[in-house]
Amino acid sequence: MLAVAAGVTLLAGGVRADDTKAALVPGGPHPYFAAWEQAGKDAVRDFHLSSADYKVPEKWELNAQNQLLESLVSQGYNAFLVFPGDPVGSASTVAELADTGAPVLAIGGCLKDPSMAGFCLGTDVAHSAYLGTQQLIKVMGTGKKRIAHFTGFLVDPNTQLRIDAVKKAAEEAGDEVVQVIADIDAPEPAQEKINAYLAAHANDVDGIVTTAWVPAVVASNALRKIGDKRIKMVAIDHDQVVLQAVKDGFVAGTMLQNPYGQGYIGAFAADKLRNGCTVKADAPWKANALTSHFIDSGTVFVAADKVDTYLEAMQGITKDLLSTFQATYLVCKS
Amino acid sequence: MQVVMRQMQTDWFGPLAVTVLAVAIIGTAAPPFLSTLNVQVLLFALATNTLIAFSQMIIIAVGQMNLSVGAIGGLSAIAFAGMMQVWGLPAPFAAVLALGIGIAAGALNGIFIARTGISAFVITLASLSVFKGINSGITRAQPFYGIPETVKAFGNNVMIGPLPWLILPTVLVILGLWFLLNRMPLGRAILAVGGNTHAAELSGISVSFTVVAAHAISGCLAALAGIMLVARLQIGQPSIGDDWLILSFAAPVIGGAVLSGGHVSVAATVLGVAIVAIITQALVLFHIDPYLVQVVLGAMILWAVGVNRWRELRIAKSAKRI
Repeated sequence: MLAVAAGVTLLAGGVRADDTKAALVPGGPHPYFAAWEQAGKDAVRDFHLSSADYKVPEKWELNAQNQLLESLVSQGYNAFLVFPGDPVGSASTVAELADTGAPVLAIGGCLKDPSMAGFCLGTDVAHSAYLGTQQLIKVMGTGKKRIAHFTGFLVDPNTQLRIDAVKKAAEEAGDEVVQVIADIDAPEPAQEKINAYLAAHANDVDGIVTTAWVPAVVASNALRKIGDKRIKMVAIDHDQVVLQAVKDGFVAGTMLQNPYGQGYIGAFAADKLRNGCTVKADAPWKANALTSHFIDSGTVFVAADKVDTYLEAMQGITKDLLSTFQATYLVCKS
Repeated sequence: MQVVMRQMQTDWFGPLAVTVLAVAIIGTAAPPFLSTLNVQVLLFALATNTLIAFSQMIIIAVGQMNLSVGAIGGLSAIAFAGMMQVWGLPAPFAAVLALGIGIAAGALNGIFIARTGISAFVITLASLSVFKGINSGITRAQPFYGIPETVKAFGNNVMIGPLPWLILPTVLVILGLWFLLNRMPLGRAILAVGGNTHAAELSGISVSFTVVAAHAISGCLAALAGIMLVARLQIGQPSIGDDWLILSFAAPVIGGAVLSGGHVSVAATVLGVAIVAIITQALVLFHIDPYLVQVVLGAMILWAVGVNRWRELRIAKSAKRI
């Protein structure tokens, strides 16, 4: 059905073959992906794409995302950068998109192998959680410490990877994860559960690591309200509330991901793939629990001293990755 | 003895017994549960969750259901935050306009249902999508951060002891709703239409007006919950409301509401909210495996509803014997 829609669009003369009209499609509305919009605009400017538009499904539902993708094909989009709504369930839609001749890349999150996605460009979530926990252990100081871990939706396969990574880092340091609170990447449950936990167990923990956006925001506010800087915390992402809490000393630092780089480099790669390049089989791919074609878009720990310049830090990572991207991961006719 | 027996037959007795029992057991097993700070956290949850439950309860009373309570609450919440940040409106003015949006959204639901005769399930399913879509279109999934300090303080400070300021509007709503449903013609009309639409119509009640009014009240309550959540969270999160549906049904049903309409209890619904909040807290306090949390929560809600039903059947049986 999608192939027919794409064919009709091409026959209608809506799109020239050398015009890349890319769509950046997250799994649903979430502030993490907002940087994709600017990334798309910058990619259009820098790589001369026809367009690279940020298109958000109305809700976090695989069906809503699939319907949006189908509609985008009929609107003439011919390259897709997709955060898979489900690592397995999205595979069939991605295959349909690929059948239209459009390059499809999984960005932000991966599809489970085998899939028709060219590769996966995203945060190595386990590595990020592991590094974040190590930073937390460092700021908590010596002695056996107790850590609480606040994380995202359990249906997201990344959540279990994060839980395991935090546990691994803690055990390696001789510390203990005393509580994992999951399924709280939404304001109401995060507010209720994190505050309830801190009300009852604030004296039983030395550190908090958060590995999802909303829990990071809520925990930052909770620590500010308690006003107790004894409990150290390492957050994730770049919400203003978190960054301000880092500045004010209520949060030790935050593990930044690189959504901008994912969108920007993803759009660059999709355009190259539309114009004759192919994915290099023997590139130095990393592997994660889902795919053996993974590229780490980078992560960096930002403490109070670097919070004002975090954008530069992420742009630096993006620039470094882009400078060698084509030579490392693609085969292009010269 | 007769007084006690009579009280046992009320809607609120079962949920009250469960609440007291749960507080006693959890408080004994985990003393921090009864700490001032934890009671405060519980009251914060009760303040907003009670309004969410009421916004569904009033629709259940009229014999319908409203799937769009979360979407209305979310839309009003981001409208409230957005009007303060983008237009620089004073908080009280923004709150009134946001409440107006909630009332209008609810009234629209009611008008469509009353005029078309299509089931409330279908209409509110569609409007859920519309309201959520407007929310996403306005925010582009980005929170509004420009919340005035006075609003943040209202959402996070306490009046006295563990009593948060947020509980104040909720208490007023509890009293207002009780008065509406028990003492005012509109409230009696809502229950009458829910109990038997045809009989209500024959007795001169305007069913259309009653349905529209019930939905407008529901929208207003959802909007108030959204506004209060903005104050509590200190940001206008676009995902406010996404999680409301289960709670909005669970609390009134635990409180003995008849889903086919005509019978709801304000007090028992408040206790239903308390039970859900206590269960949620207990799961955190007792370090329940995160993968089991949803299962335990669902099972306990089912248990509470089952107990309520069993009580109803016993009362019905003893009434027959008499």
